[in-house]
Amino acid sequence: MKKLKPGLKPSMYKEICKVLSQEKVAPGHFVLTLESPKISKNAKPGQFVQILCADSTEPLLPRPFSFLDADSKKFSILYHMVGKGTEILSKLKKGDTLSVLGPCGNGFGLRIEDGGWRIGKRQYLMVGGGVGIPPLYHFSKQLIKNKISNKNIYIFLGARDKSLLLHEKEFKKLGVHLYLATDDGSCGHKGFVTQPLENFLSSILHPPSSIRIYTCGPTPMMKAVSKIAQKFEVPCEVSVEVPMACGFGACLGCAVTVRDEGSTGHRHAIACCEGPVFRGESIVWD
Amino acid sequence: MGLDLSTKIGKIKLKNPVLVASGTFGHAKEFENFFDLKKLGGIVTKTITLKPRLGNPPQRIVETPSGMLNAIGLQNPGVEKFIQEKLPYLKKIGIPVIVSVMAYNVEEFVEVVKILDRESGIDGFEMNLSCPNVSYGAKAQASSVKMFAHDERMIEEVVGAVRKATSKTLVAKLGPDVSDISKMALAAERAGADVVALINTFMAMAIDIKTRKPVLANKTGGLSGPCIRPIAIRMVWEAYKKVKIPILGIGGIMTGNDAVEFLVAGASAVQVGTANFMNPSASIDILQGIQNFMNKEKIQDLNKIIGSVKN
Repeated sequence: MKKLKPGLKPSMYKEICKVLSQEKVAPGHFVLTLESPKISKNAKPGQFVQILCADSTEPLLPRPFSFLDADSKKFSILYHMVGKGTEILSKLKKGDTLSVLGPCGNGFGLRIEDGGWRIGKRQYLMVGGGVGIPPLYHFSKQLIKNKISNKNIYIFLGARDKSLLLHEKEFKKLGVHLYLATDDGSCGHKGFVTQPLENFLSSILHPPSSIRIYTCGPTPMMKAVSKIAQKFEVPCEVSVEVPMACGFGACLGCAVTVRDEGSTGHRHAIACCEGPVFRGESIVWD
Repeated sequence: MGLDLSTKIGKIKLKNPVLVASGTFGHAKEFENFFDLKKLGGIVTKTITLKPRLGNPPQRIVETPSGMLNAIGLQNPGVEKFIQEKLPYLKKIGIPVIVSVMAYNVEEFVEVVKILDRESGIDGFEMNLSCPNVSYGAKAQASSVKMFAHDERMIEEVVGAVRKATSKTLVAKLGPDVSDISKMALAAERAGADVVALINTFMAMAIDIKTRKPVLANKTGGLSGPCIRPIAIRMVWEAYKKVKIPILGIGGIMTGNDAVEFLVAGASAVQVGTANFMNPSASIDILQGIQNFMNKEKIQDLNKIIGSVKN
């Protein structure tokens, strides 16, 4: 396992980004696309940006958002309007500007790859819920771009109801395998997304070593996915969401308790620079 | 003619009055890609303790109106690793380095300062007498004092003991949760501190009204940010009237004008804290703001501003 040192990555930039478009994609959910020559070019799936929502002291701190998509000139985020910061974001119009820092953290595929994720003969399983779905879309697109067959990508999405299965149509367009679950049964399996995942893992014939699981979403979901991955002996990466201040390792606020070989058996990893992607079994969930 | 921004705290000559506050700037390397660190007046490191500390469990921070609570719990690699891994980089920057230190009792405080005092490249020590997020030793509990900074006698005792261990500039960083900050500042002065740093975070709390649980795992945390600035200004102003040693003003500085307000109240220099989290180059933006103010007001010499408050 590659040991990653906390601290600033050379490819982190602070940019004033122009809003290119804003679109409501689900109740309370928006896709915001920003022009950014430097951040977008360096964006990797699972990394995030820190957006200063207002040039005032209220809200005070920047807000972290993972990439939904990025190319050489622009990137987009998919966010849920939940508080003051995201409410301000939802009112932005084309041409408005925002102060953005990124790309922050380390993306998917760093911790469990032997020879890099470009190796083709693997089954990539991604399990997402809520605003944990966007980075999985970015990752899927990136894999396909890197000549990984969409037939080897399996997406498991969970939501409260049909309207919140974020980006479902776009995943369909990628031609990946799609497994859906909703709490109310309005689409796909009725219940948690972990059930279709477990069914899938029970039914397939691939050796566990050829499967990879990546998950991002609510903590109980990721905890369950991580447990399932361990049960089937499949390597799994989770992307955590924790309250965060700076996003580049200065404040040590975004701690995640992880297992450690030292005398205490655990330590506090700083999610913004050591994560936000961690190996599932390294996290102390309780 | 160029502006004279220089100021002095203890034995340390600063080329400008903007330092960065402990715990908000890591060990400086975290910021190297955002601006030229040489431009800063000086750096105060994340607090170092004798032994490594894991820090508090999550959740460690929460945003509050125009501020934030933190309970990091002094996560740090310990003094030995600091010397091996962090100090060489800090030395190379070429600006004054003040190492923030903390301990749970007087003997340990002396020990950690003695170890660091042998190293080159350290210009001074800031004694963190006021971290609100760690539990202290038996002595503190016995006297029901939560931290050194809450008790004049304890301030005198610990500062006096550390004073004997170093001839470098000694800064006493005091906490705001006291009834009379000037008494605490006077105690530090009597004991031989060269500078008092006012102020650390306020002990504060946030509760999740649904779960009825404190938001932070540590239950309470330290409040920082622009919401505390008016109280910090008042405390600097009060202490300035009593102590003769220089004051480092800290508390929610976001702009050049905020920094000037502290200087006018009596601070000889300032530390930028929470603003570093919002904008990694906040400190030099603030420095530029001070220069803009001086140009606009046709003030050549920074020392003309310090303590210029009219009573």
